[in-house]
Amino acid sequence: MNTERLIELLKSCGADAWELTCDDADIWEFYFIRHALDQNRVRSTRHLGVRVYRRFEDGKYLGSAGGEIPPTATEADASAAIGGFLSAAAFVRNPAYTLNAPAGEVLSDVGAAPDPAESAKAFMEVLRSLPETQTERVNSYEIFTGSHRVRYINSEGVDVTALRPSSMAEVVLNASRGAHEIEVYRKLTCGTCDKAALCKALEAALRTGRDRLAAVPTPALGTCDVLFSGTAAAELYGYFISRVNAAFKVRGYSDWETGKPLCESVRGDRVTLKALAFLPNSSRNTPFDAEGAPVRDALLIGDGTVRRFVGNRQFSCYLGLADSFQPGNYAVSGGSESAEALRTGTCLEAVDFSDFQADPVTGDIAGEIRLAYLREGGKVTPVTGGSVSGNMRDFIPSLRMSRELWQQDNLLLPALTRLSGVHIAGGAGA
Amino acid sequence: MKAPFSPYLSSIAPGLRRLCALLEAHFDSVSILSTDSRGFTLRASPHAKSVSNQTMTTERGTVVRVHRYGLYSEYSLNRFDPQRPEACADAILRELQAQLSLLQSSGVAPYDTPAPDDPPQTLLAEMETGRLPEEEDLSALIGRLSALAEEGMHRGNHLVDCTLSAQSTHVCKLFLTKNRDLRQSYVYSEGSVMTVASDGEKSGMGYRGLSGRCGPELFDGFPAALEEALKDAADVLSAERVVPGEYEIIADPEVAGLIAHEAFGHGVEMDMFVKNRALGADYIGKRVGSDLVTMHEGALAACEVSSYAFDDEGNPAGDVVEIDHGILKTGICDALSALRLGVAPTGNGKRENFEHKAYTRMTNTVFEAGDSTLEEMIASVRHGYLLRGSESGMEDPKHWGIQCIVSCGYEIRDGRLTGKVVAPVVLTGYVPDLLGSVSMLGKQVSVFGTGGCGKGTKEWVKVSDGGPYLKARAILG
Repeated sequence: MNTERLIELLKSCGADAWELTCDDADIWEFYFIRHALDQNRVRSTRHLGVRVYRRFEDGKYLGSAGGEIPPTATEADASAAIGGFLSAAAFVRNPAYTLNAPAGEVLSDVGAAPDPAESAKAFMEVLRSLPETQTERVNSYEIFTGSHRVRYINSEGVDVTALRPSSMAEVVLNASRGAHEIEVYRKLTCGTCDKAALCKALEAALRTGRDRLAAVPTPALGTCDVLFSGTAAAELYGYFISRVNAAFKVRGYSDWETGKPLCESVRGDRVTLKALAFLPNSSRNTPFDAEGAPVRDALLIGDGTVRRFVGNRQFSCYLGLADSFQPGNYAVSGGSESAEALRTGTCLEAVDFSDFQADPVTGDIAGEIRLAYLREGGKVTPVTGGSVSGNMRDFIPSLRMSRELWQQDNLLLPALTRLSGVHIAGGAGA
Repeated sequence: MKAPFSPYLSSIAPGLRRLCALLEAHFDSVSILSTDSRGFTLRASPHAKSVSNQTMTTERGTVVRVHRYGLYSEYSLNRFDPQRPEACADAILRELQAQLSLLQSSGVAPYDTPAPDDPPQTLLAEMETGRLPEEEDLSALIGRLSALAEEGMHRGNHLVDCTLSAQSTHVCKLFLTKNRDLRQSYVYSEGSVMTVASDGEKSGMGYRGLSGRCGPELFDGFPAALEEALKDAADVLSAERVVPGEYEIIADPEVAGLIAHEAFGHGVEMDMFVKNRALGADYIGKRVGSDLVTMHEGALAACEVSSYAFDDEGNPAGDVVEIDHGILKTGICDALSALRLGVAPTGNGKRENFEHKAYTRMTNTVFEAGDSTLEEMIASVRHGYLLRGSESGMEDPKHWGIQCIVSCGYEIRDGRLTGKVVAPVVLTGYVPDLLGSVSMLGKQVSVFGTGGCGKGTKEWVKVSDGGPYLKARAILG
């Protein structure tokens, strides 16, 4: 199915509005066991997403239905699919809203796609040059690198195209002492390979493995201050990002209000969260969102007070946000103290979890500890096992953030975040 | 009725066979998996409704696997023109050669792996279903879901949202080699009711799922699921936090399934044996659980969302007894790991879709039943919790740690439920300790297939898991 012909079908189908996204992906993949090649793969695909809209009851409602039309669909198949969407849309009673209209200059000069070979080579060079020893080594890794060329067109006249480089390395490292061997897993996503950042992350992962071998079971501490960093910290700030999302607000999951503080009587740092149009080497740098709205910098939470909500077109319209968009990148400002200052007093510095989660609806946080450092005065003890749990509502008043920042793909965050009164279950044998 | 095989796949099969022949001139072995899976997702809440023709497993595309000089390579595409297989073959050869040039210049050697056997086989498996998703009246169904969502909102206390989701997928896959022509077609469906309650101080969620290897007739079960989800939200909203510690637990069949999946599902995926990433490789023939623990894994171990006729590498579905009365017997295996380990594949080679690599993956992972009643199990607990509802889990196959996040726990003291609820509950522990402590099992096995399973934190596939009520000891936090 030719894209231009599909546009013609959408224009003539009788829909009150329509939109089409064409995503061309060219990805190279390499899989390694130790440093031997397990498999090499090429992915060359086109995905055509369409959605058609119908107004009914004098424009009070706007129904829609959509999905994917395979590029191998015949014109008859595509017409039938669009007809099916149009019929179903008539029964989707959503309050009316409008699609995005053109905003300024049409973006269509996307340039040449980056060479996947160059990025893949850089990944391989880093992985093959890690300082492996008899007790710390690379187990396996997977490299994905390439780009997406995305075009978005709608019935209101938006027609924009962008190129989005996207890479990822999944790395498993082993550390051993005698017969006891453990593994450390890291997934690193970015635009193209940043050798220095990758090296730094993997050397830290090797340290994590080494220290975990020396760890003792986490004591049953009851409650304790916990320091979060890395992907767990990113998960924590995902709570804030979700709760200023328009869909979360409309669905009643977020009780935050524009102009109101996140909590009364703050004893720690006040959170400032921004949406960023561009973050260096983020895999989410695109000039427009999935519905063709231009992305830009925006203050979402300033000094602990909600400044605005953002989100997709439908839910933003329901909140009366005419200039909204779905951000790709976010930044949380640093706090008032250094990372070293946050490490003082008794606290548990958690550096590796099995799967740390912060539920954006309930605020519950939970995760099994794979490695943490129990800091008691000047004494530092690596611990493993047991879990942390608690609720973000209880933590926000006393949350403290380091001045130093750290970037995980599309998120720029404080390098260290300290939560007070986290519940700690001890590890097996504690 | 039988789920009919895809006319599209039948129409391109001659072109794919020609592509296979063209590539055989350049490689030792060529296989092709082509997919055409259609379906729908409907969601309804009082706040918004949506209709889409996509589910987690809808797809149409082709993946070509070739083998030469001990190396396996793949090419995924979704613009195959059956009239021009030569152009496709040229693109595959050109791109894979470009990759090999990079690898050779970087000094990378392959993980030497033999070519697969290719015994002659033809199969057309069109499995039974009640209805087909492509023939479902979506306007009527979205109306039913919307009405139930409104009813839930009206009846629930402190409810801020009630979302019903219905998904049904008609899976069609064609696997071709020089000697094999395998075709399968089946339908699976899943639904969920999610209730969110907030009293201004606290929020809580209720969740109930429906699943089966069946058609949209499954959604007749929504009214009962709504009742349960409304009660769940009320329970969670009134819940207290559990005091961290080790307790006697009774896992409901859904939590038992999560334990099975995380404990010795991931732990015996044999691609992890190849990479030396699983402690289980050293424990074959050894005790890893109590005498009561017997666990199955395989597409034939249950009739659920991942019950297929052959896997994504053309190997027939199986039913493996992984743990027999506490003794670890074997693992599960994809085709390439089987070649590397010198064992037979078990039909567990699965892809997220045609764009993704095949790994060893779970299908249905299930504890066998025991002979206790739930009442007997509760009566035997001095102080502990009846755990209900699985939210997520994570394994550590190298260290045998386990994390299961459970929806809530109902307190038991001196053999009676006290009415106190705790939520959320994080269950952690060391897998052999947890399975070694299993002391009672219920008589009835239930299997659940509404979830997805990742490898690490990606490669999402449909799986089901389950078991009976299971009594053990675990650390809760």
